[in-house]
Amino acid sequence: MSATIGPVAVNTFREAVRDRVLYNLVLFALLMIGAAILVGQVSIGIEQLVIVNLGLTAISLFGLVMSIFIGVGLVYKEIERRTLYSLLAKPIHRWQFLVGKYAGLLLTLGVNTAFMTLGLAAAFFFVGGRVARADVSILVAIYFILLEFALVTALALFFSCFSSPMLSTLFTLGIYITGVFANDIHEVGEFTQNAAVLWLTRAIYFVIPNFHNLNAIAAAGHKEAIPLSLIWQNTLYAVLYATLLLIAAAAVFSRRNLK
Amino acid sequence: MISPSQERALWTAVVGVPLLFAAIAALQIKIDAGAQAYHGEDEQLLLRSASAVRRMSFGYDALAADFYWTRTVQYYGSHAGIPGAKFDQLWPLLDITTTLDPKLIVAYRFGAVFLSEPPPAGAERTDLAVQLVKRGMAENPENWYLPSDLGFLYYWRLKDYRAASEAYLAGSKIPGAPSWMRIMAALVAQRGGSLETSRMIWTEIYNSTQDKTVRQRAITTVRGLRALEDEQQLDALAQEYRTRMGHFPASSNDLHDAGLVRGIPVDPDGFPYIFGTDGKSQLDPRSSVTISPGLQLPSDAAQ
Repeated sequence: MSATIGPVAVNTFREAVRDRVLYNLVLFALLMIGAAILVGQVSIGIEQLVIVNLGLTAISLFGLVMSIFIGVGLVYKEIERRTLYSLLAKPIHRWQFLVGKYAGLLLTLGVNTAFMTLGLAAAFFFVGGRVARADVSILVAIYFILLEFALVTALALFFSCFSSPMLSTLFTLGIYITGVFANDIHEVGEFTQNAAVLWLTRAIYFVIPNFHNLNAIAAAGHKEAIPLSLIWQNTLYAVLYATLLLIAAAAVFSRRNLK
Repeated sequence: MISPSQERALWTAVVGVPLLFAAIAALQIKIDAGAQAYHGEDEQLLLRSASAVRRMSFGYDALAADFYWTRTVQYYGSHAGIPGAKFDQLWPLLDITTTLDPKLIVAYRFGAVFLSEPPPAGAERTDLAVQLVKRGMAENPENWYLPSDLGFLYYWRLKDYRAASEAYLAGSKIPGAPSWMRIMAALVAQRGGSLETSRMIWTEIYNSTQDKTVRQRAITTVRGLRALEDEQQLDALAQEYRTRMGHFPASSNDLHDAGLVRGIPVDPDGFPYIFGTDGKSQLDPRSSVTISPGLQLPSDAAQ
């Protein structure tokens, strides 16, 4: 199985690395982190905090842009270029192709995140930051951001299996934004005390991926300890939800008429 | 090989781009000069609702808080020290900042200073400063700096020594709080607004912050407090001198010659104090020491 998924993943990674847009995004993220140093200079008492917050936000934002815009084109590009047909002529299942594409993009995002993390560390040390045990929360926040990418990429891939890149981008963005406000939506339902609204908001809360739980930027900025239970629960949540989306994507893609 | 047309284009760019940039910069300066004439106090917060800003930050609340805090500092910096300046946007900015990031201790601490300072250094809204610090205490019950700041506000700005003592005592019970907080609670309760207690608080503020601006402010205040303390003692000595000699001393030398002081009393800058015709001691005009109006204690507390 890995013999078929692996090469697809590696090729997806190579293709993404060849894309100059990626380099621009990474460069821009590094510039933003550098800008954090300047912001720290014109404020009071938040020199290191702003570097962590801006750095993590940059990693998250640019990673999300990559996840969505590359994710929605993963399948579409292969169909457009007609490279998919020659690929599927080989002994590879459609679901293996999808999983390979997904893994390749995750690998790309992981490598980019690693580079951006190095940039963040450089900015942190530049302003005299010292590594303390509490700074492990920064690494946990980055790990949560990676989980966020895994979910968003799976969403983008799922939508790209049955709609155009433009619509897939809109659907993915819409669900992402809804997921960011998952807890607020839940609170609205509780607040109205209307049974129908409560039912609807609860349904949204449990169906839409909850991105609120994956946001640990503020906690990392204040060096707050992130409970181990939250780490494994978030990991399991992301794995389950991404698996669900990949199964759904494979089901749709396997039935799709490619002629 | 570059063709003549390519070469022309290159030279046009080399000469034209810097020239156009220079022209744009000059034009911008002209626009700025003209805009100042009719913009005046063009300060509006597009969104005053903290919860609306939080929602619009799409989960990046922490970074939004940093930017709002930076904006607060810039706002304060552009208004502080200007006679007649209003600080209308200060509270909304601090409200938004601390709603976006309730753990941003620095915003509560310095925000309270910005709000409570008398004009032109601040908004003189100690009520809002107290509200801000209390909000910070509710969000960060493990932080002892905030009850210390609350004690300071009650003590120094509101002259409510009982409330100040209670705040210091509450803070002293927080794990990790320094022992001086319990001492402060006792001192404030016993002696009210003594200069010695004020100096102790400002010295502690100096020791507990790394920020250069605040440290400089603490140094200036401690120097002013010492001068104020000296002046109070010299005024009393001037009265005694008058009882003996029938007139007020003309200089510190007179006090020395009369045997009322051992040496020549000097301010923290090293300048001897001078005396007015009413016998009140004053700082030498060349001295950099300042006794701001905020340092003057009410007559009952100064006694």
